[in-house]
Amino acid sequence: MRKNGPLALCFNLLFVIFMLAPLLIVCVVAFTPEGYLSLPTRGPSLRWFKAIFDYPEFVRAFRDSLWLAALSSTFAITLAVPAALAIARYRFRGREALTTLFMSPLMVPHVVLGIAFLRFFSQIGLSGTFLGLLLSHIIVVLPFALRLVLAASYGIDQRIEHAAISLGAGNATVFRRVTLPLILPGVVSGWLLAAINSFDEVTMTVFIASPATVTLPVRMFLYIQDNIDPLIAAVSACLIAMTAGLLIALDRIYGLDRLFVGSGKG
Amino acid sequence: MSHLVLNGLSKSYGGVTAVQSLDLAVERGEFVSLLGPSGCGKTTTLQMIAGFVAVDRGNILLDGNDLVSVAPNKRGLGIVFQSYALFPHMTVAQNIAFGLEMRGIDKAERETRTLEAMALVGLKGFADRYPRRMSGGQQQRVALARALVIKPALLLLDEPLSNLDAKLREEMQSELRQIQRSIGTTTILVTHDQHEAMALSDRIVVMNHGRVEQVGAPDTVYGRPASAFVASFLGKTNVLRGTSDGHGKVSLGSLSLAMAGAASGPVQIAIRPERLAFAAVGAAGLDARVLSRVFQGTHWLLTAESAAGALTLMRHNDGHPVPAEGEAIRLSFAPADASLLREGAAG
Repeated sequence: MRKNGPLALCFNLLFVIFMLAPLLIVCVVAFTPEGYLSLPTRGPSLRWFKAIFDYPEFVRAFRDSLWLAALSSTFAITLAVPAALAIARYRFRGREALTTLFMSPLMVPHVVLGIAFLRFFSQIGLSGTFLGLLLSHIIVVLPFALRLVLAASYGIDQRIEHAAISLGAGNATVFRRVTLPLILPGVVSGWLLAAINSFDEVTMTVFIASPATVTLPVRMFLYIQDNIDPLIAAVSACLIAMTAGLLIALDRIYGLDRLFVGSGKG
Repeated sequence: MSHLVLNGLSKSYGGVTAVQSLDLAVERGEFVSLLGPSGCGKTTTLQMIAGFVAVDRGNILLDGNDLVSVAPNKRGLGIVFQSYALFPHMTVAQNIAFGLEMRGIDKAERETRTLEAMALVGLKGFADRYPRRMSGGQQQRVALARALVIKPALLLLDEPLSNLDAKLREEMQSELRQIQRSIGTTTILVTHDQHEAMALSDRIVVMNHGRVEQVGAPDTVYGRPASAFVASFLGKTNVLRGTSDGHGKVSLGSLSLAMAGAASGPVQIAIRPERLAFAAVGAAGLDARVLSRVFQGTHWLLTAESAAGALTLMRHNDGHPVPAEGEAIRLSFAPADASLLREGAAG
């Protein structure tokens, strides 16, 4: 294998620093004992982590966000699997149009979606409900789920399914025992990416969320409009720690390479 | 009644004929190859037998029962694909046992039969291996074991050896033949490789443009090709132009042959290069001139030009002098070695 030259190494190093520095700084700031955003010069303190629990809105928003992410990504993946299989293997009228339609939430700015959903939901009486929030998130995360399942579906050799059929398997069995395991890396990574995007969504959600249904990013956004204190840094640090923990666990169990890069054959 | 009968089987894709009214009867335990160039309809035929391609017209009788209306997963046929098509997420044993599992066979018997099948194809001790950690030849053995373990009524092989290198392919050919003989499963092989078809089959079905050109034992099809296509598709051949007087006499340039069955007028005659000999001094023969000679170790390959058309002939490297380029030669052959070709498109 060719080694990177010193210049390339320098570039890579700078790039990694640029990527990681903001995260690192947020985490360090979260441990400050001061009442303003600063580096902890007088030793680390857990003051602001404890402060999170004085704001039950954050805990509730976190719980709602988790639910929303889990539900919307699950619904999105349930829609994406049959859609991807149909698009990947059949040539039918309107196939291209259908694909574009499913992918279109990526092209429309979230601000526009937010305003559109706000208007639409109040029209049909869903404004301010969790259901409305859920529906809008399913639509927004569907492209991510579909993209990855589609990539996995294009990769299957249909003769493997034919082999299963010839051995006596019915349609449901072929799907459960052969097709689904073959596209599983795409399904899991699609689900994960959808969940992350739902959890992270703020631009559109800020329009739709009502006081009863505020997600964590929206809550954080609303909070920093009025207060600039290290509480937000502490919340961010918690999220970073959780995400890192989740990814490490996934890597141990499943292998992230396989999830995002591999096709499950390697 | 034959074990498998194909009756006027037809299939076209959007107006393009893939298989046209194919008739074939296969006896129990027979090994039959469908041989032809790509696009000749051989794979479509196999897929119709397997049930993955819908039949337009005709029927497929297995022991007298029509398979056309039977769902592909209820036909009970074993299929081996060129790409192996193993289940990558299952071990060798799980792959092989899949068909038994689908038949609701209990675990103990499943294990016994899986082990038997693995022994049959020479894969003892590979039970817990995943396919991706095996060579192409080993994967093909797994595919064969998986197809055979269900004791299929028919074994369908779709170019099973095409992905293997030449040496391994020869080994697998003789092994495949031996396994098929020992278990006696009626087998249909689809291949574009004439050597494979000749080495493995009891009978060869030569196909072209969705039609059957000739059906027969390998030596018959090779030695007595029925059409110009068969003659040119199987091995090297010389197609000579002559004229028939309509009374059992055919003239080829300077040579006159007794050949029954030709209507008067122009005819085409096929003769294999290895069956052409130099005529004895003073005997009748076909006059020709050597254009080139190529040494190939065990033999010389000569090309020559005659009044009846271009010729290729083989001379064994047995110490006799070989005519040089430009030299005039006189050739003869036994009339029995020559075949009168049916009218039709030459390959």
